[in-house]
Amino acid sequence: MSRLSGGLIDRSQRLSFTFDGKSYSGHPGDTLASALLANDVRLMGRSFKYHRPRGVVSSGSEEPNALVELRSGARQEPNTRATMAELYDGLIANSQNRVGSLAFDLLAVNDLASPFFAAGFYYKTFMWPKAFWEKLYEPMIRKAAGLGSLTKLADPDDYDKGFLHCDLLVIGGGAAGLAAALTAARAGARVILADEDFRLGGRLMAETHTLNDAPAGDWIAALEAEFDALPNLRVMRRTTVFGAFDHGIYGAVERVSDHLATPGKAVRQTLWRITAKRIVLAAGATERHIPFANNDRPGVMLSGAMRTYANRYAVSPANRVAIFTNGDDGHRTALDLMAKGVEIAGVIDTRTEAKALGKYPLFAGAVVSNAKGRLGLKSLEITRDGTSHWIEAGALGVSGGWNPNVHLASHHRGRPVWDEASLAFLPGTDLPPGMVVAGAAAGRGTTHGALTSGAEAAVAALGAIGITAALPDLPRAEDAPQAQSAFWHVPGKARAWVDFQNDVTVKDVKLARQENMVPVEHLKRWTTLGMATDQGKTANVTALAVMAELTGKTIPQTGTTIFRPPYTGVSLAVLGGGDTGAHFRPRRLTPTHEWAKSQGAVFVEVGQWMRAQYFPRKGETTWRETVDREVLATRAGVGLCDVTTLGKVDVQGADAGEFLNRIYANAMASLKVGMVRYGLMLREDGHAYDDGTCARLAEDHYVVTTTTAQAGPVYRHMEFARQCLWPELDVQLISTTDAWAQISVAGPNARMLLERIVDGFDISNEGFPFMACAELTVCNGLRARLFRISFSGELAYEIAVPARYGAALMGRMVEVGADLGATPYGTEALGVLRIEKGHAAGNELNGQTTAQMLGMGKMVSTKKDSIGAVMSRREGMVAETRTLVGLMPVDATEPVTAGSHLFDEGAAQKTETDLGWITSACYSPHLASGIGLGFLANGKDRIGQVVIAANPLQGQSVRMRVVSPHFVDPEGGRLRD
Amino acid sequence: MLIPHPLLGLRDAQEFTYLGDASLIHRPDGMAENAAETFFDYVYLRDNPAGVHRELWFHEQGDRSWLVVTRDTTTHEILGAELARDVALAAKGGAQ
Amino acid sequence: MTDLAPMTALGGSLARAQSFGALAIAENADLALASLAQRRGAAQPVPMGLALPGPGLWHAGNGMAAFWTGPGQWMIEAPGRAAEDFAGAVKQAAPECSVTEQTDAFVAFEIASSAGAAPILSLLAKLVNIDAAGFGPGSATRTGLEHMSVFVIRRAEDRLAVIGMRSAAGSIWHALESAAARLQGE
Repeated sequence: MSRLSGGLIDRSQRLSFTFDGKSYSGHPGDTLASALLANDVRLMGRSFKYHRPRGVVSSGSEEPNALVELRSGARQEPNTRATMAELYDGLIANSQNRVGSLAFDLLAVNDLASPFFAAGFYYKTFMWPKAFWEKLYEPMIRKAAGLGSLTKLADPDDYDKGFLHCDLLVIGGGAAGLAAALTAARAGARVILADEDFRLGGRLMAETHTLNDAPAGDWIAALEAEFDALPNLRVMRRTTVFGAFDHGIYGAVERVSDHLATPGKAVRQTLWRITAKRIVLAAGATERHIPFANNDRPGVMLSGAMRTYANRYAVSPANRVAIFTNGDDGHRTALDLMAKGVEIAGVIDTRTEAKALGKYPLFAGAVVSNAKGRLGLKSLEITRDGTSHWIEAGALGVSGGWNPNVHLASHHRGRPVWDEASLAFLPGTDLPPGMVVAGAAAGRGTTHGALTSGAEAAVAALGAIGITAALPDLPRAEDAPQAQSAFWHVPGKARAWVDFQNDVTVKDVKLARQENMVPVEHLKRWTTLGMATDQGKTANVTALAVMAELTGKTIPQTGTTIFRPPYTGVSLAVLGGGDTGAHFRPRRLTPTHEWAKSQGAVFVEVGQWMRAQYFPRKGETTWRETVDREVLATRAGVGLCDVTTLGKVDVQGADAGEFLNRIYANAMASLKVGMVRYGLMLREDGHAYDDGTCARLAEDHYVVTTTTAQAGPVYRHMEFARQCLWPELDVQLISTTDAWAQISVAGPNARMLLERIVDGFDISNEGFPFMACAELTVCNGLRARLFRISFSGELAYEIAVPARYGAALMGRMVEVGADLGATPYGTEALGVLRIEKGHAAGNELNGQTTAQMLGMGKMVSTKKDSIGAVMSRREGMVAETRTLVGLMPVDATEPVTAGSHLFDEGAAQKTETDLGWITSACYSPHLASGIGLGFLANGKDRIGQVVIAANPLQGQSVRMRVVSPHFVDPEGGRLRD
Repeated sequence: MLIPHPLLGLRDAQEFTYLGDASLIHRPDGMAENAAETFFDYVYLRDNPAGVHRELWFHEQGDRSWLVVTRDTTTHEILGAELARDVALAAKGGAQ
Repeated sequence: MTDLAPMTALGGSLARAQSFGALAIAENADLALASLAQRRGAAQPVPMGLALPGPGLWHAGNGMAAFWTGPGQWMIEAPGRAAEDFAGAVKQAAPECSVTEQTDAFVAFEIASSAGAAPILSLLAKLVNIDAAGFGPGSATRTGLEHMSVFVIRRAEDRLAVIGMRSAAGSIWHALESAAARLQGE
């Protein structure tokens, strides 16, 4: 066990865990990665393409190699970074992307075939022979694709979302972020401090720098105590701010219980939408490595990570380590590990003028040119002035410089700016509005620099929104400039890795250059460098530096690729916002829903609504049997159907009639009080938009109905007309869809039934003729509205009462109408009845049809202006010959399928010969046959003729007779009885 | 995005439905001689600027006001928002 | 008086109520609602002595309350009067306005905290994108809650009302219940 002294781990507790079936133990405070290293496990995974043995490279969220499948069963999560997995008792992890064991991966054979997997190989291979693609290549590629595997079991956990508002959002809880949050919170501002780690402190926990000559942990603990007492500061640990969106809106994921064995009662993760007036980005910096031959051996890692493991996690990856560096920073690792008793085999520094900062062997002006140890580093080749020799080491810390984490600063397409002095890209000037960058993310990476710039950033940010903040007393801290050289990679023949996760090497960058994929966005897609789950955090800058070298351009000339959210991966479950299954979206229930349920109704989703589809009775074995019965019963006696879902808009005002004249194609201002009229609305481009009824209850009071699906859009459209087109008209609108339960009462016995519930109001044919409406009372004083309108073609009414009485009214009507054959019917029968009658509905008003096609051309008034009228008279629209017809199969046993297209018998079936299509279809028990409605070219002139209804997807071709769309009661006598 | 509603202050764009170019407010006279031409332009022709754009937003999950929002389509900076009704009335020659 | 039995928005005969630690959520089934809209050229009315508030505001008086819903438009509340033709009464009091019955267009949930403002603020943060700092007692607004449109009224430091589409009562209850239960568990 290579455990060192100190560290932020709790040695008093032991935690058991397994990796690839073997048991190990660690301590609270460990990550899976640190615990594995403490157990001498360096081999943690296999690389994506070549299946090369890999170990952990970093200690943070930038980790490219150590991806594991965490947990088992339904909570199994692939591609989990071992560096981010907090250790808990009973943790189960398995390595991924291997066939066989991690040590004996059968797919390692890919490494031998590596020349065939070079950059862009999928653009050059798997193409011949063509026939092999579907049966061989594609299945093979699918199997090989990806790293981890999904369980395919349902996620058992709950997720949540929330909304936060603040004056200042501080992203990052290291030295700079802590100073910023302290400054802002003390000024009384509303502050949110978020850090992806489970502890605050950032790299203060990884280094041995003192603050006021005391361990950094002392200062952090004091701050946390002060933070806890401040009600205006919200500290969010384990929270990644993943994206900078418009206008100060930031997305963040809080990992509420990822670190627990099971969430228990808690949610797993919460998605936070944070609206911030100002933002301080203190996201720190990520170290880069230096590619050299075989630099991907397990045990080769970032030098800063080696320090983190030693100082924070009290673990060394090996007993004897070496450092490869191009600057002073690598020497710090040697000093820190030496101080903990780890043997330093040597510091290999690319700078000839380098000096040792302690008592360790120094190889100045040298490079690491190769590494041996396939399953774990054994030795390193050091080359200087053309001479090479090998040294033994179990781990190598590589320090190639630090890249400020400019991601969120660049989410609004800002480009970071190359700073030659610090050999890094710094945030540019085109930041997301309201953002200030501080600390290492801004190139102020010394401890003193981070603390000061953090506090100063908070003062500036708050000052911009009128809050005065004072700089706090900050602890004394180191401020040593870190010298470094611009050394990007070690040239050589063997493969040197740049992007570990997507297995992209320096050779691949060269190949991309050779194949003229030079601009960085092309380099990225051609080689896939930077496209893996780590988004190239440890590779991108090195890659473009190599490309710059190859092309003779400078690094700023080469530029960076675009940064996009999310900063690190976000689970789809948390993006979903929490509700799944039945609660995934809102459900709207009609007033008679519970009653219908009690009657055994089967329901159907109609948009957000649940509507009764049909009401099966005992003994009925198919839905058709039930629907046929409901249809026959309605035309024979009286049927009852809840039609509350159709949109209702209350229209009032002195100019209500004039307003309606302008939104309906037909005349509406002339409608008399106490009457209802069918209304057709057009879109401004002349197509049919929606239809319904318009009832005039009083001089200045109308009720407009719409189809169920268009209720929302039509209301929006009416408000647009009211506010934007004709604001001078005196008209007021409000939706009343939910307010009134509306029940259709249809059939020859409808009037008789209603007479039994209406309170002393004359609803005789003379007193209440077809298309009349009135406000009255029912059932001993309940206010109601009665409309004599018919969708079914029968003698029919719609009765409306306040929604809370809808169920009771339905029950009452079924009860008192028993002897009249009162039968509840659902949406299926509703559809059959209106198709039998030839009434257009949503299928016929699908946005592609016109009033003329519907047979309503004359309804579009030429005497007034209305929406759509002018454009409906365009040549092309007027020249349209397709009109609404009825269709019946010549052989009554054949089906009528909506969506079928119509052709002449014997015609070749293609676009040019297409005569129209079937819009609606059903079985009519009255005609004992399938029937349909559809649009047919010159339909009116073809009544009696035969056409073909073609449904090639299902191999149907049915001979149809063209008939009148009014299958039942074509004269309309029943309506007016 | 946050929309600066003239009566309610900053509101999240998620409360709104977007329609498009505010020129839709200026609907031609449907009874005029040249209505066919003017309506063709009105229904089909649009400028599509990469820059400052006046556009219509409906506060659907709010007060159901239509707003004319001036927004830079390249930066999403919102320069202002007015009640569409006020814009429409002004275009027709003053409030009534 | 009709002999038809009314049903609550959640489909029961009694209004639903449930407690979640410091938060109690109750369906307010007896609340009458009427929308009042000003007509062109008319002065702003003072129906039954109730002053109508400006944008974003709510206030109570004379056994009723009103909140602003849009330019020239308000919702009038009358606790306990759902069985009446309340819209009719409002129309009589303001005949020059457009009045529309809205009692059964909505479901109203009253949320009360037994521990001051904090539980109310925590609940708000989980439900709606409203900055609680600007939403003190006397505030009312319409906003989105789980893909639905609702009115939210801060009746007092420790009392909130959520008023949404009656047909979506079950979905609204589920959202309130889930959020309150989770806060209770925290």
